[in-house]
Parts: sequence; C-alpha cells; structure tokens
Amino acid sequence: MGNRLEGKVAVVTGAGRGVGRGVARLLAEEGASVVVNDIGCEVDGSGGSHEPADSVVAEIKAAGGNAVANYDNAADMDGGENIIRTAVDTFGTVDVLVNSAGITRDRMIYQMTPEDFALVVRNNTKSAFTTCKFAGIIFRQQRSGRVVNMTSDAGLGDIGRSNYAAASEGIIGLSRTVGRDLGRYGVTCNAISPMVETRQFPGTVDEYRVAEGIHPTPAERAGIGTSPPISEWEGPGYPDDPDNVAPLAVYLCTSAAPNVNGNVFGVRGGSIFLYSNPTVEKALYKWGTFTMDEMDILVPKMIGSGF
Amino acid sequence: MVDRFKGRVAIVTGAGRGIGRSVAMLLAEEGASVVVNDLGGGVDGEGGSDAPAAQVVAEIKAAGGNAVANFDSVAEYESAGKIVQAAIDNFGRLDVLQHVAGILRDRMIFNMTEAEWDAVLQVHLHGAFNMVRNIVPHLIKQDYGRIVLFSSGSGMGASGQANYATAKEGMVGFTRALSRELAPHSITVNAVYPGGATRMTETIPDSTQQLRQTQRSAAAGAAAAGGMSAQGAPIQGPPEARAPENNAPKAVYLGSEVAGNITGQVIGTSGWPMTLYAPRHVIRSIHKPGRWTLDELDDLMPISLNANLVNPVPEQTPR
Repeated sequence: MGNRLEGKVAVVTGAGRGVGRGVARLLAEEGASVVVNDIGCEVDGSGGSHEPADSVVAEIKAAGGNAVANYDNAADMDGGENIIRTAVDTFGTVDVLVNSAGITRDRMIYQMTPEDFALVVRNNTKSAFTTCKFAGIIFRQQRSGRVVNMTSDAGLGDIGRSNYAAASEGIIGLSRTVGRDLGRYGVTCNAISPMVETRQFPGTVDEYRVAEGIHPTPAERAGIGTSPPISEWEGPGYPDDPDNVAPLAVYLCTSAAPNVNGNVFGVRGGSIFLYSNPTVEKALYKWGTFTMDEMDILVPKMIGSGF
Repeated sequence: MVDRFKGRVAIVTGAGRGIGRSVAMLLAEEGASVVVNDLGGGVDGEGGSDAPAAQVVAEIKAAGGNAVANFDSVAEYESAGKIVQAAIDNFGRLDVLQHVAGILRDRMIFNMTEAEWDAVLQVHLHGAFNMVRNIVPHLIKQDYGRIVLFSSGSGMGASGQANYATAKEGMVGFTRALSRELAPHSITVNAVYPGGATRMTETIPDSTQQLRQTQRSAAAGAAAAGGMSAQGAPIQGPPEARAPENNAPKAVYLGSEVAGNITGQVIGTSGWPMTLYAPRHVIRSIHKPGRWTLDELDDLMPISLNANLVNPVPEQTPR
C-alpha cells in the first residue's frame, strides 16, 4: 500500500466493474478516498443495480481503504453534479476524476437506430462532460486537479460500432480541450485507450468476427503492430486483465507528471503506449486556390497515393 | 461548366453561407444537381431564415446550374430524412453528401451549460449520424456514394470549445468506422479539417485568439522536442488565403468519382494547401511481461513515454 494520494479525494465513474473498478481500488490503495460511481446497468445501458458499486466499496473497505458508493447517472447534468457533490460532502473536496463509465450498442450503420447512436454518445461523452465541468469548478478554485478519461481504439475505425467510435474519438477531443481550459490552474487531463477483456469487449460483433476468423486478435483489431503478442506473464493478473490499466491511470492522477496534459495513452497487457496527436503526413502546396484540374493531376500522385 | 459530376446529385448541409456555400456552388459548376440545405440560423443555432439557401440556389441557377433549396434541420432524425427525400423527389437519386452545417457555443468547461453542450453535439455529431443514416440505404442500393463530413482542427484541442472539440473529433471516429463498414459498397467516407474567415471565426474574441496562439507555440515546442506535430496552425499567406472558397476544391474532389481510393481519412482543406493527417498512432511504448507497478512507472515514465512532453497550458501562478 503506497501513499502517493494520501489525503486526496478521487471520483471514478463506471467503477463498479471492469477498468473503473481496478482504477478505484488502486486509487484507494494509494491512500485516496474514493467515490465509487456506477449505475450498475447492462452493457447496452439498460437496467440498473446498486450491487456493482456497493461490492467495490466493500472490497476497498475490506482492504483498509476509504470509499463511498454513488449510483447517479453521470450522463445527466444533475447526476454529474451529484457525483462531485458526493465527493465534497463526504470527503471535503475532489482532486482526481477518472471517467470510465460507458456502454456499447453495436450495429452496422445501416441497422443502427437513432437511439443506438444517441445513447452511446450520451452515456460515453456527456458523462465525461458533466463530471469534468463540476469537478473543473472545484479544480479551478483549489488550483489543482487530475482528470483521466477512458477512450477506445474503436475510434481508429472499428466495424459495427460507429456510434462507439464517434464517442471514443469525441472523448479524446474533450480531453485535449479540458486540459487546455484548466491547464493554467494546475490541472492535467489525459485519455487512456484500454485494450482489455471486459463486459464491453468482446461484444456481439467481436464474437462474430472471432467466429469467422476475421481480425481475430485485439492487436489486429486496434491496428497496432508495434509489439509481438505477449507469450509469457509474470505476477498478478493475466494479459487481458482490465486491472492492468490501473497503474497508468493512477500514475497520471498523481503529481508525478505535470508536463503530461492533453495526451492519449494506451494499455494492452504489459505494454503502455503513447499516441501521437494528429500529424500532417502529406501536403500539397500552391500559392493560390487549387483548381479541380490541378487536383485531378496532383492528388493521386501525393495525398491519394498508397491508399 | 465542367462535367465531373454530370448526372450526380449532391446534398450540402449548411450551404447557405461560408464554406458550405462555396462547396455547393463548385459542385453545381461541375455539373451536379445540388440540394442546398440551410435553416438559416445564427452562429449559435438560434433563429432561422429561408434567405441564405434561397440566395445560393438563385446564384447557382443564374450561372446555369441545377439546385433546389431545403430548410430542414440536420439536428433531428426525421427532419434530416426530409433533406434526403428532397434529393430523391427533385432529382431522383443521391450520390454525394457534404455535411458542413454547424454551430458554435463557446464556453470554458467550468462555465459550460447543458444547453450549450447539447446544441453543439446535436448539430455536428448527431447531425452527421442523422444525415448518414438516412442516406446510406440509397447509396448501398446503387453501390456508389461519397460522404464528406466537415470536422475541425479544434478536435486537436481548443480552449473554450469542449463541446465543439468533442463533436468534431467524434465525427472523425465516426468517419473511420463508417469507411470500413461501407467500403464493400463502393462508398467512401472522409472527414476534413476546414478553415477560413467565416461568421464562425469572427465570433472568436481577440483574447481567445491570443490564448490559442500561445498554446499553439507551446504545442510546437512539444513537437520539436518530442517528434509530435504542431496543432491547429493558423492559415499562412495573404488575406485571400483565408477565403472560405479555398476549402471547396479539396472537399469537392473527395466527393468525386476519381477519389474512390481515399476513404477513412482526415484531410486538411484550410487555406491554400491540401494536407493529409495521419491518425493518432503509437509513437513510444514500454513493455514488460506482467502488470506495471507504480514504483516502476515513477522511475520509467519520465525517461520514456513522458520524456520532453510539453504541457500546452502549464500552470500559472495567480496574479
């Protein structure tokens, strides 16, 4: 048990299961008092239960930590406010915010209903907005704070979940902006893209693809070919364990890295990645406005070559 | 008149003014029949007027082109369907979507209201879904289509635009997923980072412009140090380089038949150049055959992943 966050107060949304649960537990291990928020819904956002949040609070307390459960829906403005208020009322303030709440409703675009799209975008991005806003008010006053938002490499283009891809890349746009809005007050905001095995993954489309032998590995799905598959594993957990995300998330919540703000990280097993920000890869220049005739000639040779 | 788009039908949302207008005019010039959609609202999305769209249609017709005005909102699924239906009813088919419509409700994150958040996401991101979802059945049936969604470099991070940056970068994720789903049907989907002097950029206060310039410089410092790119660079060149018309050839090109191999990309159309953005990709990594501990990360991160990263908005001591 460390003391990196002794006396600090943390809020974790979606902390009842999966990635959020691991982060909440490690935050508590490091001495933070934790608001364990989870509405306890199914993967598609339906239903609700106090059990997931309650059980994580019980686990933290059993390990000698300090935690309180909250069941508000962060995707509602009142819910987001209440979650932050719970931290302030119970523990006096808020220093750390980790947004891990999210749902999936996988469908191909031509089968997706407006509800499928709206619910995923709302639950995955608006939930991060409401908590960032209300925590941001306090961060600004106390001139410190840490935010980590969970995103996904589905945003790099995943078949069968264009809603989730939109929400995931949206969370990155949000994180970069929150980091810039609050940076001068000593706040950092970063995003993590976890590649792990949770309720959300594998989803229905993944199961289909695995069954059909299409893009079978998480690495291939994510389009990341930078490291060989992990063949050996030492110590606690296993390669697809969602708890593997917690050390990086908690590290970014400590005061260790004030220079890291508005960045995107990834975690897959024992690998931790830093992503580039959007980079200009190719450019066509002209002193003046391009004509269509010019583009017909130039684009296939430059921008469009290699696709 | 040229005939790159002869027999093609295009919908341009937000075509009443600014960038959308120039895209619609160029499409018509190239032979497309165009649905000029604009509900004629203010930059903040309030109000409405038929005048902007009607004016653009009049200009297109005066130049010998073919166009029809539409004033429905992209923000609701049903009314977006009416825009698509207008193309079918008037021109019998549909090939190209240019989703340019957008609004701004800038506010720092700690002051932003729910209405400001909802309105911006509704028009940009949900609007993109509403248009695409209504159009896709038509495009799949004919096994051909071109979709261009107007995103923004603000997605790379812009103070005071949490709603706008979320919506716009969300459109990039949406674009990438769609491109893969629709590729078997010969439908391309691309996003653009546009730019230019329009109503929208006029609303940005000088103080915010200065703040963003400072942040850009910091990001450029980070780029030099860490192999990362500068973000949201301002348009280079004389004032005419800032004309919204400069976006049109590039966006229209992406909507043409010859651009069939370009899909799932982010193309910069701001100013005179045309640029291709690489998607975020892994530039540094650390590995071990097991779970990292915080002690290890404390030691290793500063000399690996975090080395030389520059905070674009570092802490300032209160005045």
